[in-house]
Amino acid sequence: MKSRISVLFIALSLFVCFILGRAASLQIWHNERLQALQRKQFETLIELHGRRGDITDRKGHELAVSAPAYSLFADPKVITNRRQVAQLLQKEFGFSKKQTLEKLHNKSRFVWLVRKLDRDKHERIEAMKIRGLGFIEESNRIYPNEKLFSQTLGIVGSEGKGLEGLELEYNDTLTGQNRIVSMKRDARGRPLMVNGQLFNEAPDGADLQLTIDRELQFILEQELSSVINEQRADSAVGVVLDANTSEVLALASLPEGGNDAGARRNRAVSDAFEPGSVMKPVLVAGVLQKKLMTAKTRIDCEGGTLQVGDKVIHEADANHDFHLLSLSEIIAYSSNVGAAKIGLAFGDDNLRQNLMTFGFGDKTSIDLPGESKGILQPLPWRNHLTANISFGHGIGVTPIQVANAYAAIANGGWLKRPFLVKKIHDNETGETVETQGKTLRRVLTQEVADQMKMMLVGATGKDGTGFNARVPGFLVAGKTGTAQKVNPSGRGYLKNAYISSFAGFLPANDPKFVIYVAVDNPKKDYYGAQVAAQSFLKLPDLRSVNLDWLRSTHPRRRLFLKKKSRCRQNLLRQKKMWFLVRVT
Amino acid sequence: MNFQRIIPTMILPRGQSINELKPYLSIFIIITFLFSIVFLKMEIRRIGYTDLKLSRDEKRSRDQSRGQMIALAKVTRPDRLQKVAESRLTLRKAESGQIIQMTDAGRAIKQ
Repeated sequence: MKSRISVLFIALSLFVCFILGRAASLQIWHNERLQALQRKQFETLIELHGRRGDITDRKGHELAVSAPAYSLFADPKVITNRRQVAQLLQKEFGFSKKQTLEKLHNKSRFVWLVRKLDRDKHERIEAMKIRGLGFIEESNRIYPNEKLFSQTLGIVGSEGKGLEGLELEYNDTLTGQNRIVSMKRDARGRPLMVNGQLFNEAPDGADLQLTIDRELQFILEQELSSVINEQRADSAVGVVLDANTSEVLALASLPEGGNDAGARRNRAVSDAFEPGSVMKPVLVAGVLQKKLMTAKTRIDCEGGTLQVGDKVIHEADANHDFHLLSLSEIIAYSSNVGAAKIGLAFGDDNLRQNLMTFGFGDKTSIDLPGESKGILQPLPWRNHLTANISFGHGIGVTPIQVANAYAAIANGGWLKRPFLVKKIHDNETGETVETQGKTLRRVLTQEVADQMKMMLVGATGKDGTGFNARVPGFLVAGKTGTAQKVNPSGRGYLKNAYISSFAGFLPANDPKFVIYVAVDNPKKDYYGAQVAAQSFLKLPDLRSVNLDWLRSTHPRRRLFLKKKSRCRQNLLRQKKMWFLVRVT
Repeated sequence: MNFQRIIPTMILPRGQSINELKPYLSIFIIITFLFSIVFLKMEIRRIGYTDLKLSRDEKRSRDQSRGQMIALAKVTRPDRLQKVAESRLTLRKAESGQIIQMTDAGRAIKQ
């Protein structure tokens, strides 16, 4: 009996030892397969989406924002009554019953039903608790101002990557990081977490604050749109820069091309064209800077015709038979012959060097993709080309280059890099980095810049070509341009096709805004003075957006305001409410 | 204070010493300790669920606030304001040289 008990005891002990040993081997020794099984059973992977950063204008108005969106998917095998589900979704949300049914009859275990629903619909569908339906959180890029500034803002693809414009240029900065977190879950699939904040800790992308002013942008786009309609033009481009810093305050090219990527390009930075007479001040500034001539130097304009080699150069207007004109008058009357003679005296190498100093033939390095360098022919130039380039033909420039060159004249001779992003706010660290304007080089002395301002004020004087750009109460400095359009499919120029432009700044005595407007192929009128200068005149309506600087600008304006002291107070108060004027 | 004297008089039947209770006391302490561990673990789990729920609520609130911010931005976009001003308030754009009389409160006086 005793021996039987001993045997039984030993057998049980061995069995217990075996069980303990097996348990120890499973628990202590590394087993890849078992660990994978455990992970599958108890662990879950959660993907946390970092929000793409917002883009706002200089005053904090939202231009592009990201919001969560919820995409509805189905597992057709799990859904028992497909017809009923399709009917319910149609009744509640207007989803096509036919399409939903088609998707629900799919043999796959995962089918997208609807992408990017808003939170309201998401919650309503979830409340229905339909087995086999689920949601995946995605991000939706929203542009609250719709088409406003759309070409510069660019677009984001369905995968959340920037494809054009600022969205592309600052994609890395804006993109929020996606973080995948592995954690244990309970029997009901809920994550077992120590810190619930983990769910809200996905690193968001940085926010961009632009130099753009939404109201100015709106006025610029409206004005360009109206000039296109009025003049039956093909397109129009406008740039408004801060005269002192070259910050881009507004940038527009209309019409927008819808979904066609080619037509959606930002012509203000990507298209080079022959600018015409707006280039004459750059030539004259170079000559004055080199001290080859003075503002009073008189040039014989030979009655409006100049033979250069086998070509003849005429004035833009056949009635212009100028003879002796000073440099100031050449700019004011926009004499082609006068400019050609100055250019020939300057020499091709000096002229090319001068243009390059002002930033032509090179990118301005504005923070936008697809910028064009423009076209500046290599030396040597034939005399005819030198003469042509002197009055803005035979050279390709972008609107941003022209505006920036005028900004250099306006700010006293410094060429600066135009830029669009004012601040970058890192949502992760809370730090804000302010973009500082970069001064590239001095292109004119203060004295020459002041002389140029005076000359450009003269161009908007009573007899100047830019008379139409005058704004009552302000000194405006600027120059018109009327360039023949290059034939894109052959040599020479198109007949009766022009690019009318106006570049200038105001107030001339203390420049705040540099404005450049170019209208492509206007059908009604074609002189820059008739088309673009008119737009320039209307654009200073921007003044009503920001009246602060008006108080200390023009003496005449000050006097006017003093006399109407009460009105002055009222004028200053209206600010943004510029269009809220009661009709009587 | 001498517990060895006080406790027996409070809970022990007459004639029994504290030494007889010691094994039960240690088992009681161990069991209480184990239960405390289980209770604390459960509390951690419960707080974890509450935390999870709160974090989801916080996210929902942030999303809602964001949605409202977007709605406001859409409503106040310049072209819409202009349309409302022109069609509903019968206002028109300010013209060059026009003087607008306004009250101290910043409202335009009927011209």
